Amino acid sequence: MSWLFSFIWSSLGRKLLMALTGFCFCMFLVMHLFGNLMLYGGRDAFNGYAEKLHQLGVLVTVFELGLLTFGIIHVLTGSILFYQNFAARPVRYAVRASGGGQTLGSATMPYTGFLVLVFVVFHLIDFHFADRTNATIYDIVSTAFHDPFHLATYIFVMIVVAVHVSHGFWSAFQTFGLNHVKYMPLIKGLSLAFAFVVGLGFGFIPIYIALFRGQ
Amino acid sequence: MKKSIDLTLKIWRQERTGEKGRFEIYRANTISQDMSFLEMLDVVNEELTKEGREPIAFDNDCREGICGMCGAVVNGRPHGPEKGTTLCQLHMRHFSDGDTLVIEPWRSRAFPVIKDLVTDRIALDHLIQAGGYISVNVGSAPEANSIPVSQHHSDKSMDAAACIGCGACIAACPNGSAMLFIGAKISHLALLPQGKPEAARRAIRMVKAMDQLGFGNCSNITECQAECPKEIKIVNIARLNREYVKAYLVSEEK
Amino acid sequence: MELDGHIPGGPLPEKWDRHRFELKLVNPANKRKFELIVVGTGLAGGSASASLAELGYSVKTFCIQDTPRRAHSIAAQGGINAAKNYTNEGDSIWRLFYDTIKGGDFRAREGNVYRLAQVSNAIIDHCVAQGVPFAREYGGLLANRSFGGAQVARTFYARGQTGQQLLLGAYSSLMRQVVAGRVKLFPRREMLDLVVVKNRARGIITRNLITGEIESHSAHAVVLATGGYGNVYFLSTNAMASNASASYRCHKKGAYFANPCFTQIHPTCIPVHGTYQSKLTLMSESLRNDGRVWVPKNPGDRRLPGEIPEPERDYYLERIYPSFGNLVPRDVASRAAKAQCDQGKGVGETGLAVYLDFADAIRRDGRQAIEKKYGNLFQMYEKITGEDPYEVPMMIYPAVHYTMGGLWVDYNLMSTIPGLFVLGEANFSDHGANRLGASALMQGLADGYFIIPYTMGGYLTSVSLEEVDASCPDFREAGLLAKERIHRLLSVNGKRTVDEFHRKLGLIMWDYCGMSRSNAGLEKAKGIIQQLRSEFWEDVKVPGRNESFNQSLERAGRVADFLEFAELMVDDALARHESCGGHFNEAYQTEEAEPLRDDQNCCHVAAWEYAGEGKATVFHKEPLVFENVSLARRSYK
Repeated sequence: MSWLFSFIWSSLGRKLLMALTGFCFCMFLVMHLFGNLMLYGGRDAFNGYAEKLHQLGVLVTVFELGLLTFGIIHVLTGSILFYQNFAARPVRYAVRASGGGQTLGSATMPYTGFLVLVFVVFHLIDFHFADRTNATIYDIVSTAFHDPFHLATYIFVMIVVAVHVSHGFWSAFQTFGLNHVKYMPLIKGLSLAFAFVVGLGFGFIPIYIALFRGQ
Repeated sequence: MKKSIDLTLKIWRQERTGEKGRFEIYRANTISQDMSFLEMLDVVNEELTKEGREPIAFDNDCREGICGMCGAVVNGRPHGPEKGTTLCQLHMRHFSDGDTLVIEPWRSRAFPVIKDLVTDRIALDHLIQAGGYISVNVGSAPEANSIPVSQHHSDKSMDAAACIGCGACIAACPNGSAMLFIGAKISHLALLPQGKPEAARRAIRMVKAMDQLGFGNCSNITECQAECPKEIKIVNIARLNREYVKAYLVSEEK
Repeated sequence: MELDGHIPGGPLPEKWDRHRFELKLVNPANKRKFELIVVGTGLAGGSASASLAELGYSVKTFCIQDTPRRAHSIAAQGGINAAKNYTNEGDSIWRLFYDTIKGGDFRAREGNVYRLAQVSNAIIDHCVAQGVPFAREYGGLLANRSFGGAQVARTFYARGQTGQQLLLGAYSSLMRQVVAGRVKLFPRREMLDLVVVKNRARGIITRNLITGEIESHSAHAVVLATGGYGNVYFLSTNAMASNASASYRCHKKGAYFANPCFTQIHPTCIPVHGTYQSKLTLMSESLRNDGRVWVPKNPGDRRLPGEIPEPERDYYLERIYPSFGNLVPRDVASRAAKAQCDQGKGVGETGLAVYLDFADAIRRDGRQAIEKKYGNLFQMYEKITGEDPYEVPMMIYPAVHYTMGGLWVDYNLMSTIPGLFVLGEANFSDHGANRLGASALMQGLADGYFIIPYTMGGYLTSVSLEEVDASCPDFREAGLLAKERIHRLLSVNGKRTVDEFHRKLGLIMWDYCGMSRSNAGLEKAKGIIQQLRSEFWEDVKVPGRNESFNQSLERAGRVADFLEFAELMVDDALARHESCGGHFNEAYQTEEAEPLRDDQNCCHVAAWEYAGEGKATVFHKEPLVFENVSLARRSYK
């Protein structure tokens, strides 16, 4: 199986790993967003949803472990790539300018990625591992979003996530070799739309809760 | 129309590989706007020579945009600010009186500086040696028209084959990746029936060589496509990706 | 002395086959033991290195650039001829042979040119197999176009980049042999001298352009494929590094130089626009299919082209050559443009340009049709000049493009020094006094892929060569002389730069040994070249030192050789008492100012032998025998 290792561990293999795991995270974001939409239904709707989810039992654990594995792969591979890319240019340019190829997303991938990683850790501590003996998940979320610092952080990070996926989404297609003159404009459009939906979809929920829902 | 301009040049000077380099400032006065960028450097060099100073070393040869020998980064842009243009075909009418130009060599671990603006791009030869050819000996070719190639494929192959091997894609890539260069070669040959028998081997070997030579990794930033003087497109990188996956997962090549 | 080209006997179509049979073969197991040096990696050198290595020889390949892929063959735009007759227009090997020998104004060998036409088809086959993306028809088969006034469409092309694609094909084959370990590559090397041991070419002295190290390389034979000497004119369509030094050094070591005065001046180039100019850019001659060439009727008319009314314009090509008009061959068109400018009718800032006007064609066919045909050329023109040729007429002027002359070689492509083979533009053999469009690529690849692999074997089996290496006295001596010369160049420490001398030499050659020559002018040129040469060695300033990357030093060495070589060109021009092809001497013209060939007295190759420092070169003659074609006069009236 040494061929498999050579395949995966080549620059292109790693790029495929990034694309594959990244694309799965995009799908996860869609699911997560659907779940979060329950917050608009109020306390009972959201808590009900959370309960239903936990009833899935071992499936949830498997899914979580899967996410964790993908997360580790995405972060580790990304870190290696970041280091290698940095090392590929030992002397930096005195003047950097763009010929028009790069976007905000593509130019900042490692940095937005790092921010998202830090956020995810805090996010999990905040909500996933929160002490739920005295409060429902809705209460925890609601309390958090009534704190201005929390609110601002979440909104900011959702913009960061949107920027990250604005490049990541279409980039995955390119990496899979799916670049076609007819479909690429569509995929790029979809990528922006996806970023917009993710940013707005996740970003508006804290605002909604802070403004329209009491604690 | 026939205007001459004065410029300030900040040029990277480095005596040899491994030695510390630095920027030096030169004046280029009464530069005709009809000059090419390299002719402007010629004028500066003539003056330096007469003053008894060492002229600025820069690679160049055909001066008509096809040999791929010239190239420097001007104000952060490989081959300067014009799209689809090599440095030798860049004319001074695209600059204005009083401009300051920062001129640097290609920066990449795979391209060590030989002197001033001259870099060693032998790594590109190594990439081609890894598989950028069709194995055919003189004498064994079949009659030319016994291999039909659709005009469409032939055109796309030619689009990729137009690469002049200047290295601007690598110089432009924030990651210092050579994916456009090998993508172009792999596409050129994979699109032709003649290139198919070796396609899998070629893809695997060229990527392996790229990884060993110290280039960075592609993250689809597409600066390469924006700066390529022959405007080679990243669809060629996508084709490389496909060929590579096919090579490992479908063919028996390792 | 009369030279023998060693053309095999027998009927023309059978000569090459017969000769190939007669050439002895090298035992396959022994090929590895033979070391061959190939200098230059253009179409000829690249293809020769690859094909010799494929046969199993140990090849050492040298190039002046950082990689073999940059040789100036890469800049050829138009295409490559072959006698495939895919278009069913009646083309044949015989017709390609005839067109080529007639186009060369009957100053090439029948045997060589016929062989060139014979192998032309195999070149196309091989290049297609290599993956050269030639243009194709909708059905997937190869497309052809007619080129350079040929009456059949026999030119294969890859957009406007045929030279590039063919060179990349040869380069890819070469790279394959490098990996196979049969070619050792030496990039960024300049050949400084040929080493001759016991009257045979056995190696070369090179300078490593990065470190300045003077290196010796030995071999059993040396193949020279270092291109033409067009840069003797300073301004030409050649690349900046193109030079005559390798050829000229071999000449000084005993190789005869043939027909150096045969130079091709291409009529459609972008005119010179300033003294700082470093090179000239060719515009494809296909432009003359639709563009009309004109100048103002009145000398000194400085009005803008749009302000000159129709009756005050002189469409001189259409006037003088009514049947061919704007499509007269390269040499005729170039001379006519010069004649107009000499009368003060030239246009543009320098007065050294004529108009190439597309207004009529645009009116007739519409802008779109013109754009489709010439869009990329118009764009290139605008990029360089900043003027839009759709709105104002293009300005063009002739420029030095190709040199038909070169080191003398026999049918085996071997020079007068045994073991020194010369291929491509560097030899003189196939184009006579004028080269046709799309023939240079054909010749380079024919020499490298299909001729040298056989004739090299023939040579190696016919001689017994003792082992030599870099420690031999001949190598040591050549290396010392090379070092001494570099030291001399660096120690002059005068006031004028190398380029100043080169520019001045270029002007002398352009004025007196260019498109139109006269005996008085040539005599005068000889004197001022000698004068300039002595000034060079007294007043040149070469900055820096040898032990580093030093481009001024590189150029100085080349210009020093050009300064000697230029005199050889002038001598040759003086000795050819006729006008033919690229050589037009005003003393030999008809009453209508057309060139006058002298088949009685001048039907020969002039080959020059170096006689030593300060001595006159010795003239040798190889008579040209025409058994299969009758010598006709070219007329385009």
